[in-house]
Amino acid sequence: MTMSLFSLSKKMKKLKLQKKQTQQTGHPQPVKAIHSALQDQIDYIKEKTGNSTDVNIRKLQLGDGIGPNVAVVFIEGIADSKAINDFIIESTMNHRTVHNSRPLFEILLEDVVALGDVKEITDWENLFLSLMSGESIILVDGSHKALSASTRGGEQRSIQEPSSQVTVRGPRDGFTESIRTNTALIRRRIQNPNLWMENMKIGSVTKTDVSIMYIKGIAKEDIVQEVRNRLKSIEIDSILESGYIEQFIEDEALTTFPTLYHTERPDMVAGNLLEGRVAIVVNGTPFVLIAPAVFIQFFQSVEDYYGRADIATALRFLRILIFFISIIAPAAYIAITTFHQEMIPTQLLIAIAAQRETVPFPALVEALIMEVSFEILREAGVRMPRAVGSAISIVGALVIGQAAVQAGIVSPAMVIVVAITAIANFATPAFAVAISSRLIRFGFMFAAATFGFYGIILGVIILAVHLCSLRSFGVPYLTPMAPLIVENLGDTIVRLPLWAQKKRPRLFSSELENRVGENQKPQPPKSKGMVNSIIEKGDQDEN
Amino acid sequence: MEKARISLYQLFVLILLFELGSAILVPLAIEAKQDSWLSILFGMAGGLFLFWIHYRLFLYYPELSPPEYMQKLLGKIAGNLLAFCYIILFIYLAARVLRDFGEMLLTFAYLETPLFMVNALLMLVIIYAVSKGIEVVARTGELFFVSIYLLAITGFILIVFSGLIDVNNLKPILEEGIFPVIKVFYTQTLFFPFGEVIVFTMIFPYVTKRKKVIKVGLFAIGLSGINLAITMAINIGVLGVDLTSRSQFPLLSTIQSIQVAEFLERLDVFFMIATVISIYFKVSIYFYAAVASTAIIFKIKEPSKLTYPMGLIVLFMSVTIASSYAEHLKEGLEFVTRYLHPFLLILFPLLLLGIAFFKNRKRSTQPSP
Repeated sequence: MTMSLFSLSKKMKKLKLQKKQTQQTGHPQPVKAIHSALQDQIDYIKEKTGNSTDVNIRKLQLGDGIGPNVAVVFIEGIADSKAINDFIIESTMNHRTVHNSRPLFEILLEDVVALGDVKEITDWENLFLSLMSGESIILVDGSHKALSASTRGGEQRSIQEPSSQVTVRGPRDGFTESIRTNTALIRRRIQNPNLWMENMKIGSVTKTDVSIMYIKGIAKEDIVQEVRNRLKSIEIDSILESGYIEQFIEDEALTTFPTLYHTERPDMVAGNLLEGRVAIVVNGTPFVLIAPAVFIQFFQSVEDYYGRADIATALRFLRILIFFISIIAPAAYIAITTFHQEMIPTQLLIAIAAQRETVPFPALVEALIMEVSFEILREAGVRMPRAVGSAISIVGALVIGQAAVQAGIVSPAMVIVVAITAIANFATPAFAVAISSRLIRFGFMFAAATFGFYGIILGVIILAVHLCSLRSFGVPYLTPMAPLIVENLGDTIVRLPLWAQKKRPRLFSSELENRVGENQKPQPPKSKGMVNSIIEKGDQDEN
Repeated sequence: MEKARISLYQLFVLILLFELGSAILVPLAIEAKQDSWLSILFGMAGGLFLFWIHYRLFLYYPELSPPEYMQKLLGKIAGNLLAFCYIILFIYLAARVLRDFGEMLLTFAYLETPLFMVNALLMLVIIYAVSKGIEVVARTGELFFVSIYLLAITGFILIVFSGLIDVNNLKPILEEGIFPVIKVFYTQTLFFPFGEVIVFTMIFPYVTKRKKVIKVGLFAIGLSGINLAITMAINIGVLGVDLTSRSQFPLLSTIQSIQVAEFLERLDVFFMIATVISIYFKVSIYFYAAVASTAIIFKIKEPSKLTYPMGLIVLFMSVTIASSYAEHLKEGLEFVTRYLHPFLLILFPLLLLGIAFFKNRKRSTQPSP
């Protein structure tokens, strides 16, 4: 009895082991080979796709035979029907002489299909993958193999000016929803074989194409490997936007700050690749992810590099100031009016006190009313159909601008503060940081209402500690300010002229050699004679 | 020990912020009257010597933290006991600095707020920072260092331009001879703030370039000493000896007397910003040293888990160590500088260095097998 029990438990263990092994391999069913008879193949495809109407199956006859021996399968809309007609169907039909010595499959591959990228497929899984990505499948009677021809195409949005990162000076092309167009836009800017690209499919249902791009030799190998590993470990059914990926590969989930950069501009991606970063291009979205991202990056615009250095520096100082205003302005107003009245000049203090005479609420409630109603207005403005958008601005301006003050709910000074905060928020170049400062602002308002400036300072310290503790793919978020890397400070809050920015960012690029040559600073013409001769000539011409 | 790397610049910034910490707020060395700045400079010289002692000890055991080498030098029981004394010292000093700060905030801005609330808020921030690790504290140091110095320079320019400094207040130099100055040196400035640099022995093992620790440390202490001396000289120049010695926070009174161009006045808030930030660093570093030593002695793998319970200890201690601010000050002058600091800050490190010297000399003279 005991023996049998013992053996039973042993058997159970074995069973469990087997189960585990099958789970580990991930493919419970063996890969199915393709049937050999043409009609069977067609029937199987029809069965698997549920007879979907956009799956086109065209039977053709290759050579002088009796009845069809080849079939072309493609999906209408995502495959380029013109290419299929011209280079597969027409050339198959025109190919009448067939030597019996060669199999049909080889003839198709070598003589008939006039397309660049043609692959052999031996199993159903790959067949459906390439069919669903827009390639056309050529089935051959009597063969266990099929051909897939790259005919991806169909209707796509054309390249347009990016709407989220507008510049006055700079290229006008933006990414589209097609991954190939996007990678091509990047490759056109960096014409170098060292620009490497790796493809993978993520999403168990959607099978979305994702590409990693980096410049071999400039990007640090361990960061590229880290990106690769994190992308490979994603297990989700669908990837509909690069934001899906961002949530799986960011370093810290509990933060309002973005630790990956996303952009619609190919020139921005190219610039970042050249600094040693890695780009993640996702099919179906114009937003390309860039890793690793550092905090100061969100205050930079591509235009900084196209314009003059001194002006770009001034603008960057302004943007940092803007960030602080959009976080602290309402909090500072609350702190001053409730705790530190002595800080403002007496006349202004009297004016504010007079305005606040009719307002029945404490400053915090007043500020909250205004801030929340402004947030409502903004959210409505973003989500409303364009046609009714103007109605909102009229109602908003009237309600917030005038009626609220006249009704004695808020004071005019508060309206000014909220308006400045709102405009400051719109002026932040990266939306991802602007939106996080919108949220943080409310925390600061409560801190200011309970402890005045002490609360605000503590809030700033917490914010600094939090930012210092963040990392993006192992790179500290506040580099190169904290930890301080002096040689990389030239492209932070100040933007040195390009000839003075000699080094790549130290923490995430492997090639640290100079980006610009020696003595690139523009010099005035060396021979004075040249200048003089031009001036003399000019004078003579005028005469 | 956690895995962390501190750069030389970060060490420099931390030492400087730590030294300035609470010393810049209080009437430092005011017993030496108008010569207090001289007394501070003497203290700084003593601080340089003490730093050299700590550095020599560190060189004997560059991989080990103080509790570990204390065990090696004194044996397991005595070493642990001494290390435990230092933990108590660090906790106590963190609580003292927190109390100083809380009292200051209550006297000038939040008259009716309970001390406990003010201290608790700052302590929560410190717990959060220290639980993130010493690297994060060091990085915040780099961030705030620049802003604090900008504030200080602005303040200095404003004081000069409002014509407040009266150099006659600083005269005559050495009115009663050198002895009062020296007495203040060995009763106060040697220990506070310069002797307190002993906490950095807990941070030395993290520093990337060990050979240069001494240079950076001496430079930081020197600069902080000069800064403190200048600050105190300005305080006396603006307020006079009498007012400075009676003022609890002379720097605050100095800043409050700034009046430039009709509207730049009442700059208390800027004083508050500088104070909160520098106190934050001072308490953080003490607290970090206490937490890290505890983790080493009791072999706790994640020091960050200790921050919450130990933070509460510091918080309650800060409220309960004295019943009033006067008592708190008296304790500081009569108990701490007389019975705690001479032993723990000077005598024991010297003793340890002596033992380390003899032990290592013996080892090096022994023929190696």
